Amino acid sequence: MNTREEGKAEQAQSRQCDEVKRTFQTAAVLRRVTDDPKQEQVPPSSSSFHQHYQSTPPDSESSRPNTSYADQGGEQAEDYETEEQLQIRILTAALEFVPKHGWSVEAIAEGAQMLGLSPAAAGIFSNGTGDLILHFIAQCNSNLSEKLAEQHKLVQLGQTEPKKTDEFLRDAVEARLRMLIPYIEIWPQAMSILLLPHNIPESLKHLSILVDDIWYYAGDRSSDLNWYTRRAALTGIYNTTELVMLQDSSPDFEETWKFLENRVKDVMNMANTAKQVQSTGEAVAQGIMGAAVTLKNLTEVNQRR
Amino acid sequence: MPSSSRKGAPKDPEAADLFFKEDPVELFSDLHEIGHGSFGAVYFVSKCIRTVYKVFENVAQKYDVMNDAMSLGIHRLWKDALMHLMSPTPGTLLLDVAGGTGDISFRFLDYIRSRQDREARRDTLSRQSASWQEITEAYQPGQSDTQGGVQAVVCDINKEMLKVGRQRAADRGYGTGLSWVVGNAEELPFDNDKFDFYTIAFGIRNVTHIDQALQEAHRVLKPGGRFLCLEFSRVSNPLLSRVYDAYSFQLIPVLGEVIAGDWKSYQYLVESIRRFPDQEEFKAMIEDAGFFKVQFHNLTGGVVSIHSGFKL
Repeated sequence: MNTREEGKAEQAQSRQCDEVKRTFQTAAVLRRVTDDPKQEQVPPSSSSFHQHYQSTPPDSESSRPNTSYADQGGEQAEDYETEEQLQIRILTAALEFVPKHGWSVEAIAEGAQMLGLSPAAAGIFSNGTGDLILHFIAQCNSNLSEKLAEQHKLVQLGQTEPKKTDEFLRDAVEARLRMLIPYIEIWPQAMSILLLPHNIPESLKHLSILVDDIWYYAGDRSSDLNWYTRRAALTGIYNTTELVMLQDSSPDFEETWKFLENRVKDVMNMANTAKQVQSTGEAVAQGIMGAAVTLKNLTEVNQRR
Repeated sequence: MPSSSRKGAPKDPEAADLFFKEDPVELFSDLHEIGHGSFGAVYFVSKCIRTVYKVFENVAQKYDVMNDAMSLGIHRLWKDALMHLMSPTPGTLLLDVAGGTGDISFRFLDYIRSRQDREARRDTLSRQSASWQEITEAYQPGQSDTQGGVQAVVCDINKEMLKVGRQRAADRGYGTGLSWVVGNAEELPFDNDKFDFYTIAFGIRNVTHIDQALQEAHRVLKPGGRFLCLEFSRVSNPLLSRVYDAYSFQLIPVLGEVIAGDWKSYQYLVESIRRFPDQEEFKAMIEDAGFFKVQFHNLTGGVVSIHSGFKL
């Protein structure tokens, strides 16, 4: 009986050994097939990895072949150095899936998948939906800035006529709002998410940068109260036009652009009216002063007589 | 006469059935090393194998009850917090290591199911005028499963825990979508780049070579995959720390004796918690294994901590 048990035990033991050997072999084979540097075991911690990367670029070049973004010749082992860039890349990829999934973690997960990463990478963003929307807004704003800068250059080179202020404002706001058109169905969701307390500072920052840019390229170099009043006015115009655009169903948003035109005209009129009121007020004040002086003279003349 | 070092040869023929058919020395040699002079582990190995087997069987059955008693039910909140942090999307594959009785995996399946329901509801709401084809597609059952129906793999070194887990799964109706595998966290029986999530809840402190386990985790995760570890950790608040220490060293072994009939292993548990590296140290170990964006979130004032890292 002992020998039989011994035999069984030995079989069991050898089977186990084989299993272990097998897993080792598959692991080893996979390591060989994918790449060699992975066998440099324990990749050092992120800070020393940075130094490692700097000192041995050829090594790190082949270190992550499974991911689609690590195979451009010039860019090597960008994981540490471009964590921010990777995040930006994931968010940009995620924008494609927003019409289908809305502004949500699912969209980010799909974006990550498109880059060749696991959907779990969406967990990198602790404030996923907010980050996605803010990234989109930042992208739109920088696009607009580029466009305005180009126009500005053309004007400076003398190739085009400078636009009048109200036309400039109208075109700039229209260009910016047109970037929302692909996402217009789900934009209300985005606006509501931007109103959440932890998102408000960032969204206000983006809005103020946008308005500042537009006024700068419109030629505003004021350094007095005008600076504030102009930006406040444009903020009002932009926000209200955005809201109108959300429920506009006319072809190519004609109603929205008409609304925009009227608002800009209003602001211009307000500016003009303000100037007129000021000059009228000055004139009236002068008239009253003159009347008072005359009265005084008359009474003095009486006294002196 | 076979010596005591011969595997699979019990001195007592009639008790032959009680023994694991696997190699007990190999299986339990880990515990011996965990000891390093700790009271509990030395006690394990010095006892005879029959009793050790019974201990494991006991622990497996009472594991959940003990968890509830020791943590006053808060362990459920901790595990829920882990799931919310993970926030998995449908179609992802989870590896739950040391997840014997399946708590994390069940929550994972629930979360994914509710996410799918939400998406389905949103779809039907938006599709006011869907074609008949779309509607029939929406009603297809089983479109949620991937990889032939498996969404979560539960891996544990202990067969008894897996048995209990499988029973619980059957009771709660999580039939498909779960796979139960016996394996060692330091040497996972899986191929590279397979899983989207790797979780280990209250298991990594029992692993002899933690860095090996972390490296294995890195290996089996897909690029972009996430490592999550829920574990007891250092309490920083001095007042809370004193209360926690008093509770751990005085009450938990008593509970262990009363509920599971086992003072020593629960004293060992408390000691192993104190021996585990603190939050920052563990974070450094995870970074050493090659993970990026490593963060930890303290729960209940630092009593437990969730460490998370990405394979990028």
